[in-house]
Amino acid sequence: MRFTSRLIAIVTGLFIAHLACAASPEPQRWVSAGGALTEWIVALGGESRLVGVDSTSQHPRSVKSLPGIGYQRQLSAEGILTLRPNVLIGTEEMGPPPVIQQLRTAGVQVEVLSASAELPALQASLERLGVLLGREGEARQLSDQFIKRLATEHQRVTQLKRAAPGVLLLVSHAGSAPMVAGAGTVGDWLITQAGGRNLATHTGYKVFSTEAMSGLNPEVLVVSDRAQNGVQPREALLRENPLLRATKALRDNRVVEIDPTLLVGGLGPRLPDAVRSLADAFYPGAAPGSARASNAR
Amino acid sequence: MLIGKDIGIVRDGKQVLDSIELTMAHGQMVGVLGPNGAGKSTLLAALCGELAPTRGQVFLDDIPLDQWRGPERARRLAVLPQSSTLSFAFKVEEVVAMGRLPHESGQQRDAEIIQHAFEAADAMHLLGRSYLTLSGGERQRVHLARALAQVWPGEEGQVLLLDEPTSALDPLHQHTTLLAVRAFADRGGAVMVILHDLNLAARYCDRLLLLSQGLAYVSGTPQQVLTPDALMSVFGLDVLVQPHPERGHPLVITR
Amino acid sequence: MRLDLAPKTLFITLGFACLLAIWLSLALGPVSLPMMDTLRAVLHLVGVPMAEDNLQQAELIVGQIRLPRTLLGLAVGAVLALSGVAMQGLFRNPLADPGLVGVSSGAALGAAVAIVAGASLGGLPEPFQPYLLSICAFAGGLGVTAIVYRLGRRDGHTSVSTMLLAGVAMTALAGSIIGLFAYLADDASLRTLTFWNLGTLNGASYARLWPLLLVCAAVILWLPRRAKALNALLLGESEARHLGIEVERLKRELILCIALGVGAAVAAAGLIGFIGLIVPHLVRLLTGPDHRIVLPASALAGASLLLFADIFARLVMAPAELPIGIVTVFIGAPFFLFLLVRGRA
Repeated sequence: MRFTSRLIAIVTGLFIAHLACAASPEPQRWVSAGGALTEWIVALGGESRLVGVDSTSQHPRSVKSLPGIGYQRQLSAEGILTLRPNVLIGTEEMGPPPVIQQLRTAGVQVEVLSASAELPALQASLERLGVLLGREGEARQLSDQFIKRLATEHQRVTQLKRAAPGVLLLVSHAGSAPMVAGAGTVGDWLITQAGGRNLATHTGYKVFSTEAMSGLNPEVLVVSDRAQNGVQPREALLRENPLLRATKALRDNRVVEIDPTLLVGGLGPRLPDAVRSLADAFYPGAAPGSARASNAR
Repeated sequence: MLIGKDIGIVRDGKQVLDSIELTMAHGQMVGVLGPNGAGKSTLLAALCGELAPTRGQVFLDDIPLDQWRGPERARRLAVLPQSSTLSFAFKVEEVVAMGRLPHESGQQRDAEIIQHAFEAADAMHLLGRSYLTLSGGERQRVHLARALAQVWPGEEGQVLLLDEPTSALDPLHQHTTLLAVRAFADRGGAVMVILHDLNLAARYCDRLLLLSQGLAYVSGTPQQVLTPDALMSVFGLDVLVQPHPERGHPLVITR
Repeated sequence: MRLDLAPKTLFITLGFACLLAIWLSLALGPVSLPMMDTLRAVLHLVGVPMAEDNLQQAELIVGQIRLPRTLLGLAVGAVLALSGVAMQGLFRNPLADPGLVGVSSGAALGAAVAIVAGASLGGLPEPFQPYLLSICAFAGGLGVTAIVYRLGRRDGHTSVSTMLLAGVAMTALAGSIIGLFAYLADDASLRTLTFWNLGTLNGASYARLWPLLLVCAAVILWLPRRAKALNALLLGESEARHLGIEVERLKRELILCIALGVGAAVAAAGLIGFIGLIVPHLVRLLTGPDHRIVLPASALAGASLLLFADIFARLVMAPAELPIGIVTVFIGAPFFLFLLVRGRA
């Protein structure tokens, strides 16, 4: 069954590629500005086309050896042109606008995809990527898989009919200055998808006092540390904010760590795994074979 | 000719000067004396237009001073302040050349005048040096040259006001400075000089004005002004006044 | 302590340095173009008929990317250096930096408002969108300078020492408000704000260039005419008045010139530091403090220095770019320390 669908996908792809060749050669040199986008491109098999990535593109490890074009909001037109790209693909966060315009004038095809943390936006982005790579079928597949896995997790946790645990997601640097994820962030999206209840009601990322965090008394604490230098995020956080020990989450030892690169640049392919780990932590002992350790790096 | 009529100045509610009359005629050197705080510098500020008098008026050539346009006034009236805060490494020639700013006499004439000014101020040996490398006294002489250059040659109608020009100078240069100023007056210019040294004032000035607490205590020739009674009253100083053995002007000797 | 370079020698050297900087700025970049192609592209752009084979890429890179960038660098470098001379004349202190009257912090505040609040306010209609940041920065710079100026005025007289203190206070106040905006900002706005604070000539386009060029031309034409008056002002305000100069008017005009010049430069290129402080100093070390020479020489030297810094900024980390403010600080701060140590500040 799977082989047949793959065959159909390949044939369809070749057919479209043939059509495309009749019109113009398929783009071969791609520059990607956006971590999640880069991951999707790689997932769709387009890694060989990538000739440059921005500073937020950290996964998979292999793309880190590609030439860097800097921060996505401060691109250099001439710098990108040295890579002789056919396509510059990025989100609406790319800039500055005059540089994007200069690249268009230079004949680079600039594709702007959405970076918002919403499923319809992700679907549209994947569809477009599929068209550009000539892998519409695979793109649709990935898109469906993504949604399906999320639905599965959602079903799993709702079936339990347990109260959603109160959760706070913290992003810190070597434990200090922890910022709490509020509405509209990918962090908030993750918590909701995994069946948790985000206790923070503000928008965006805000610094909370330890007192406020203890006051909210989360049952589960999700921590993410940008330092990434081998320091254990949980230990670092406790060292810098010892009062957190008073929270229920720490008393019950329900602390989950997640990779901070998941939280920027829109929805990426590693998110369903992260949702699964979070759901496991929110509802312990809920499903067999999911008793993973809390590290999901 | 610079005339101050009934000058009164109030500052911060205090009457710093009151009812001062001063006439600076051409060819004359007027010396202003008095203890610290008597109002000498304030008087100079009023006479050069820096301070607007609360009462009374200053006239330059019978026209009120505040009606003169800047450059025109500057061509007739030059001021040598007590000290300078110049902290940039100009050459001394450049500093003196600034005295010619209000004029449009052309480069050649300016160069001649600057040369004369240097000679008059006895600063020729300072040519080519940087201002910041000079001592306090040398700097004062450079500024004197600048002021002289501004109203060179000192003909009728040109005025020079000096605020304690000898304070940082050694005895020789105290005299050379006042001689240069005297020569300016002799050529026809009008001079007012604030001095602390009573004997220098007696020797070089034609007329003296003795201020005490903002009021004119006495004015007139050095003989008329420098009397033991006046000096005791104003300065609290017990003195003898005798004529200079060779020159005849009053010589004040503290007892 | 000065080297006493004759004016002629100085101007020939600086002129040559400036032309060299312009040429290198057009010829060097992450994309390597053959020198001949660059030359031909430049000639073609100014209208000299030229064989157009293979010239498209060169014309695009040189004409659309490097030339506007070079013009921006020339204008910003010249204006910042001239503003530095004006500041040092106004405060009669060779250590005065244009930022002292608050224009830089005011511009930074304006930019912070535009970056952080602009996103949430939905922004201006399309044609103005790219100008929003520049307009806010320019308005902020002028606004804070106006406040500082008003604080320094009393009875028709402007006290520069009061202005200095007011400038320090306003800079601190602006800094704390910027901090508040940084707190309210989301991640993306914060990065944008940080980058803007470091200054860049990236993204220069002819459309955004012309307001700055106008202001630059005005400053370059106006300041040298006040050279003699500025010389006299260095003697002291009283002395300058005795020499017949309208000192209050001159101070007003200088402040306006600095506010407009630095405001426009910062609006176009972000915060670029130390040019206004270092360049006039260098020129004075070479040739003395006479403004008739220092003003035009500083304009040339500032333009050249900024262009050389920009060439370095865009090559050192290609294809990414180093913000130029970092480069100027790396040149300027050690030089400043060296001056202090030498005791000749």
